[in-house]
Amino acid sequence: MSATRSQPVFETRHLIFLSLFLIILVTMLIGYNPEIKVTSETQKVYDYIDSLPSGSVLIVSFDHEASSLPEIKPIALTVLRHAFSKDIKLIGTALLAEGTGVGYRLITETAKEYNKEYGQDFVYLGFKPQYIAAILSMGESIPDTYPEDYLDKPYFSNEMLKDIINYDDVAGVISIADGSLTTHWIEYGASRYNVNITAAVTAAMMTTYDPYIASNQLYAMFGGLRGAAEYEKLIDRGGAGKRGMLAQSVSHIYVIILIIIGNIMYFVQRKRRRGSK
Amino acid sequence: MDWSTIIAGLLTLAILSFLYRDNPAYKMAESLLIGVSIGYFLVIIWTKTIMDLLVDPLFYDAKWPLVIPMALGIMMFGRFHKKTSSLSRIPIAVLIGSGAGVAIPAMLEARILKQVSATVGPLLTDTGMPDISVIVVLIGVLTTLSYFYFSHEHKGALGVSAKVGTYFLMAFFGTTFGYTVMSRMSTFIGRMEFLLSDFLKLTQ
Repeated sequence: MSATRSQPVFETRHLIFLSLFLIILVTMLIGYNPEIKVTSETQKVYDYIDSLPSGSVLIVSFDHEASSLPEIKPIALTVLRHAFSKDIKLIGTALLAEGTGVGYRLITETAKEYNKEYGQDFVYLGFKPQYIAAILSMGESIPDTYPEDYLDKPYFSNEMLKDIINYDDVAGVISIADGSLTTHWIEYGASRYNVNITAAVTAAMMTTYDPYIASNQLYAMFGGLRGAAEYEKLIDRGGAGKRGMLAQSVSHIYVIILIIIGNIMYFVQRKRRRGSK
Repeated sequence: MDWSTIIAGLLTLAILSFLYRDNPAYKMAESLLIGVSIGYFLVIIWTKTIMDLLVDPLFYDAKWPLVIPMALGIMMFGRFHKKTSSLSRIPIAVLIGSGAGVAIPAMLEARILKQVSATVGPLLTDTGMPDISVIVVLIGVLTTLSYFYFSHEHKGALGVSAKVGTYFLMAFFGTTFGYTVMSRMSTFIGRMEFLLSDFLKLTQ
C-alpha cells in the first residue's frame, strides 16, 4: 500500500487571504476616514455637472453587470446625487441586460432622497439590445429607439421627455461602466453625433480610457473607490468611498509587502539553485 | 432586517468560503448565481428584444418589413440540422457585412486617426519650453511600435529602440495591474461593508 500525504489544512494562500480579510475587517471597524486629495480628473467631472444649468437633461447609462455593484454603486451614487441636487433631469439607460435592474434601483432610490418624481425629473428607459445599434439609433431618435420606458409607459407620456428627440436635446452622456462599453459611446456617440461623453468606471478600466482622455474624445473620467471618495468630498457627502479609503490604502500596502516578499524569495531561491549547480 | 439582506449575506459568505477550499455551500451559491443570471438575462431578452422589437410591432402594429429580420433570425436555427445548416450563412453574412460597415469607419477614426493626431502634438509649449509629456508620449509610441516590428532582427538602433519600448510596455502593464488590484480590493471592501453594516450591523 502506497503512503499518500494528506493535504495540509492551511496552505500559504490561506494565510494570505486570512491576513487580507483581517486587515480589511480591522480597518473598517476602526472607522477612521483619512483625508484625501481630489485629483484633477474627478474635479473635471464635478465641474462639468456643476456647470450645467438646472433643468438640463443628462443620459446616465448603466453599462455594467450586477457583479461589479460593490465598486460601481459608490461611483454611481455620487454622480446621481450631484445631478439630482443640481436639479438636472436624468434619463437612465442600460446597454447590458444584467445591469438593467441594478440601474433602475440606483436611480429610483437616489431620486427618493431628493424627492424627485418619475416622469418629471427622471425616467428610466432600460435595456436595449445590440449596444452599437442602440447608440446609433438614439442619435437619430430616442423615442423610436425606446417607444416605451422600463415601466412600459409610452415615451411621450413622460413629461420631461416631451422635447427630447435625440442627442442634440441632451447635455451629454455619463457612462457608468465596468467594461469597454464606454468605448462604444465614444466611437459611435461622440464621433458621429458630437455628444459629450463622460465616464464613471471601475478602477480596472481606467487605463483603457486614458488614451481617449488624452485625445479629447472622452470629456472627463473618474473611477474606482478612490474616485468615489474624491467625489463624495466634492459634494460634501459621506459614502462608501470615503469609508473604504483606509481599508483600500492599507490593503494596497499589504499587496506591496507581498510583492516585495515574493521577489526576495524568488532571488534567494535562484541564488540557492545556482549555488547547488 | 429583511429577507433579501439575509439571503445576500449568507450567499456572500458561501462564495467567500471557497477561499478556504471547495465545499457544498460554495457550489450551491455558484449554481444559484449561474441559474439566476441566466434566468434574469432570458427574461430581459425575451421581453425587451423578442416581444418589444419583433412580436409586438409585427403582429400588433403591422410593421411588415420586420418579417425580414424575423426570417433571418429563424435561419440561424438552421445550424441545428445538417440539411439546413447552410441557411445560417445568410444571416451571418448580413451580420458581418453590416457590422463591419458600421464599425470600420468609426474605429478607424476613434482608435487610429484621433489617437495619431493626439500623439503628434507640438513639442514646444507656448513659452518655448519643451513639452515633456508630449515628448514622452511620442518616444513611447515610436519605441513601442519598433518593438512590434519583426521584419528585421532587433539589433543596433532598432534593438535599443525595441528595448526602450519594452520599458514603456512594462510601465503600462504595471499601471494596469495596479488599477486591477485597486478594483478587486474595492469590490471586496464593498462587500465587506455590506456584511459589516447591513448584514451584521457592526458598523454604521
